[in-house]
Amino acid sequence: MLTYLRRSAAQLVFVLLGIALINFFLLHLAPGDAAQVLAGESGAATPEYMEALRRQFGLDQPLYIQFLRYLGNLATFDLGYSFRQSLPVSELILQRLPATLLLMGTAIGFALVAGCSLGFLAARRAGKLTDTVISIVALLFYATPVFWVGIMLIVVFSVILDWLPVGGMTSVEANLGGLALVGDVALHLVLPAVTLGLFYLAIYARLMRAAMLEVYGQDFVRTARAKGVRLRRIAWRHVLRNALLPIVTTLGVQLGSILGGAVLVETVFSWPGLGRLAFSALFQRDLNLLLGILFCSSVVVVLVNIAVDLVYTLLDPRIELG
Amino acid sequence: MARTDTASLPPTRTDFRDRAVGRLLRRPSALVGLILLAGILAMAAFADVAFPGDPLDMAGSPLLRPGDAAEFPLGTDMMGRDLASGIFHGARVSLLIGGVAALVSLVIGIGIGALSGYYGGRVDRALMRVTELFQTIPPFLFTLALVAILQPSIATITTAIGITSWSGLARLVRAEVLRLRNSELAQASIILGASDARIIFLHILPNALAPVIVSASILVATAILTESSLSFLGLGDPNVVSWGGMVGAGRETIRTDPHVAAIPGVAIVIAVLALNLLGDGLNDVLNGKGERR
Amino acid sequence: MMGRDRQVAGGIRRRMVVAAAMMMTAAAAVGVLPLSAGNAAAQEARKGGTLSIILQPEPVTLTPSTNMAQPTQVVAGNIFDGLVAYDFDLKPKPALAERWEVAPDGLTITFHLRSGVKWHDGKPFSAADVKWSLENIWKTIHPRNKSLFENVTQVDTPDDSTVILRLSKPSLPILSVLNGVGAPILPKHLYEGTDILNNPYNNKPVGTGPFVFKEWKRGEYVELARNPDYWEAGKPYLDRLLFRIIPDAAARAAAIEKGEIQYAPYNPVPFRDAERLSKLPRLKVDTRGYEWLSPLLYLDFNVENQYLKDVRVRRAIAHAIDRAALAKIVWFGYAKPAISPVPSSLVTFHNTKLPQYPFDVKKAEALLDEAGFKRDANGVRFTLTHDFLPYGDDYRRTGEFLKQALKRVGIEVTIRSQDSAAFIKRVYVDRDFDFAISYNNAFPDPQIGVVRAFWSGWLGTGTPWTNGSGYRNARADALIQEAGVEGDPAKRIAEFNEFQDIVLGDVPSLPLLELNFFSVYSADLQGIVEQGDQVYSSLKNARFVDAPKAN
Repeated sequence: MLTYLRRSAAQLVFVLLGIALINFFLLHLAPGDAAQVLAGESGAATPEYMEALRRQFGLDQPLYIQFLRYLGNLATFDLGYSFRQSLPVSELILQRLPATLLLMGTAIGFALVAGCSLGFLAARRAGKLTDTVISIVALLFYATPVFWVGIMLIVVFSVILDWLPVGGMTSVEANLGGLALVGDVALHLVLPAVTLGLFYLAIYARLMRAAMLEVYGQDFVRTARAKGVRLRRIAWRHVLRNALLPIVTTLGVQLGSILGGAVLVETVFSWPGLGRLAFSALFQRDLNLLLGILFCSSVVVVLVNIAVDLVYTLLDPRIELG
Repeated sequence: MARTDTASLPPTRTDFRDRAVGRLLRRPSALVGLILLAGILAMAAFADVAFPGDPLDMAGSPLLRPGDAAEFPLGTDMMGRDLASGIFHGARVSLLIGGVAALVSLVIGIGIGALSGYYGGRVDRALMRVTELFQTIPPFLFTLALVAILQPSIATITTAIGITSWSGLARLVRAEVLRLRNSELAQASIILGASDARIIFLHILPNALAPVIVSASILVATAILTESSLSFLGLGDPNVVSWGGMVGAGRETIRTDPHVAAIPGVAIVIAVLALNLLGDGLNDVLNGKGERR
Repeated sequence: MMGRDRQVAGGIRRRMVVAAAMMMTAAAAVGVLPLSAGNAAAQEARKGGTLSIILQPEPVTLTPSTNMAQPTQVVAGNIFDGLVAYDFDLKPKPALAERWEVAPDGLTITFHLRSGVKWHDGKPFSAADVKWSLENIWKTIHPRNKSLFENVTQVDTPDDSTVILRLSKPSLPILSVLNGVGAPILPKHLYEGTDILNNPYNNKPVGTGPFVFKEWKRGEYVELARNPDYWEAGKPYLDRLLFRIIPDAAARAAAIEKGEIQYAPYNPVPFRDAERLSKLPRLKVDTRGYEWLSPLLYLDFNVENQYLKDVRVRRAIAHAIDRAALAKIVWFGYAKPAISPVPSSLVTFHNTKLPQYPFDVKKAEALLDEAGFKRDANGVRFTLTHDFLPYGDDYRRTGEFLKQALKRVGIEVTIRSQDSAAFIKRVYVDRDFDFAISYNNAFPDPQIGVVRAFWSGWLGTGTPWTNGSGYRNARADALIQEAGVEGDPAKRIAEFNEFQDIVLGDVPSLPLLELNFFSVYSADLQGIVEQGDQVYSSLKNARFVDAPKAN
């Protein structure tokens, strides 16, 4: 176990270096730079103004110097400075982190609980009406473009029924505090979390169902059934535990993309998350910021993957950590 | 959904080959999926016959609703383009994007996952490192970045989707292979001195196919959906008609003329649904084989 | 629609959707005139309330010194007062300057400042702030004003309320850019001796305007509060301005429809939604308030392209485009065909007696035949690639419209899509394009926003929104330079007339449309659109007629 962790740590460093390298040079391949974007938005520019911007952004240095400087900063856990926003990258990321975690946590939690329950139910009733309905509904949510679902939910629940706010994270107008603020955020959270969750829900329901049906067919389960163990007990004790393997894999992947967030949902619901921040950073060529977000996301993914590996061994003792 | 007949006797190998298609066709959901998919393929094949001419032509007055004019059965969009023609011609592009992108992912994902899971050790570590490199970057953001860097066109969009969507599959395959490698059958083959390739292709991959097939159908579907998301964010190819592009173009009138986005949206939903139903059917059939273990 | 950052919009024609009566009462309340008690009672104006406003996209900074982007300016206009403001006819009216004189020779401009004005941090505002801002911002790093203030050789401040500009050559356009964002006055005591571009106050601005900066929660909102010490007694009416960042157009429409947002400038929703919202009794759609900007949509031809270097081809393309249909179909009537690079809203300078290119497919084909580009077996003369300004679907659809229009005359067009950084680099830096749509704001004087697209001095500098076509004409260059330092208004008009005639004859850049942008606001608001630079100015006159919305 100790060897595994030590090796994982070395791996982490390697992967992070690779990420920094790929991201840095890939993103610098993008045509145009931040000064041009800024000048473009301004609708006017002079060569002097452009030059001042480039100097301010450090874009007047050769690329390899910019990269070495970036690596040097990373070594000291400094993600650099967003010149466009005039703030350190780490501060910008921390500002958006709570909103991102809240949205993704709620959405994935909702998807996991609802999806697994539905998938479980569908597998138990395989071939019956319940199964068909669950599968079709889950599939429909999965198959519908997520921005469309979001906009329709806004139209129905916000505009027509007027139950929930259109977007944002708080009712800023109202100057709320304390418990009222928590309730307010919760209200704002419902639609984006459900929209995002409905998409993931289908994935979990499908995985759960498919995996459970596969396990149902395996020898030991059939043996258990033949021995007269009650179906519910089989379902819970054996099947569920085995079916969780692909689900944990998927969960690991999805938790990993937390920091990238749900660009579309954040866009539709004006949710102040990291996905949207990364998206605009890309188009504004705010590469320090984008690199910072991608880098943090990489750290999370690598850590989560290690955790998933560990969970494998718990779920299936036959798996050895190599 | 298709019923998995856990009580039935496992088919023999020849039985399976002969009966796989028949079994598939006997499952209503798979049949529905097949029929829908065949319909979409037919639309793609006969687009030029049914709607000759450029689907981008501003053929009529803008924003006609379905039924407003006989020559435009599905209405027109903001630019007066025929939506029905767009659906037929768009079927080609969308299927192409979905199919090619999924193929790219499948080849990379299965290859890396199988090698990694089977050999373990150093190979596993090296390949998983590559996978992690790709996996650590949130896929949609990565796709966006690639498309923005390469500039949106149908080729760059397809490639970008393919390149960014294989890592999950690779890990899934690896996990399955890791599990199956320890199965009695594989262990027995190893003891009997079968070649690695033989073991991988004959004993491990076929048994790992069920989740891969589910994933493959998800991949094609996701590629089609991703293309529509890119279009929603303004990163489509304006020179060709795709369903995603049509949904993206219709989002501005989503409140006033919802049919412009809804019609291609329904086409996407049907395509994704068909692919999934078919995938499920295959999954069930192949699971039948899995019972033989 | 709102995705494009440089959303500098304009309603040029008095296309009034709002009742004229409202404008009359509003006009009376503008500027230095104190609002009389009777007037106020008649309007049942209430004090207080929070106004929620759409801000899209999120600004980069809140100080207009180096950033001319729309979102920055929309917020900053409420925080920074200018020396003057502009009425609907683009005439300057007093703001921080109570009056001003221009010497007959145009070489001296004197401003008499309002006394007793305080910065939001309590420090007094004085002539020294104006002098410092002119010397350190307007003349140096300001992206638009540099050329206008170049000839200011000295700034005298004989006392705290007098600023005298001394020029080596006249620069009449100066008087057209002196509002709070056009020539921003920053507090000298917070900026002097600092790195202006990185000064922390750029993101927590301190101004003299009617609203005080309170908070900027990135990704969510910018909050401003009423300035209780504002120099204009009784104003502003509102307690709070809340600029909310809503990235998606459908969500913006829903928020406006629901009343969560009461004021939304700069084409906040797609045109089709604007039609729908304008029919709701609770809402008003208004194209006024953008007069100061006068945006013009144009087509830049790369004059070095093997086909486009022939003026007959450029003229043929001009004849092939039905600009009225473009305005109607793609821009839903929120635009009108442009006949000159100087938009019609610049009444003094706009020339109507110019070479014209009416929609005429036959003539276009004849010109192309004459130029020697015959149709091949497939009916294609040649192929061009089109780059559209990546500022939203309206521009993409404009490109699609052009593609179809040119197909009719045998020119095959491939549309190339890219983001704005790539577009700017391609067109203005690498010049690796055939023809591209773009737009510029003209501003009240052609010197500010029009001539940059034609002056050859910009070539080779890689500067965005300048001479994209690669056009060189010695006479046009000479006229541009003469008009820049001409002190006689009549002579300047003559010079600009000749200039327009030349560039429209050569047509390196084809004016397509004069764009009309719009604001949407709640019908229970008054004083929202009061002047020609409203969208870049303050909401000090805005007030709820009925009970305040929130709180």
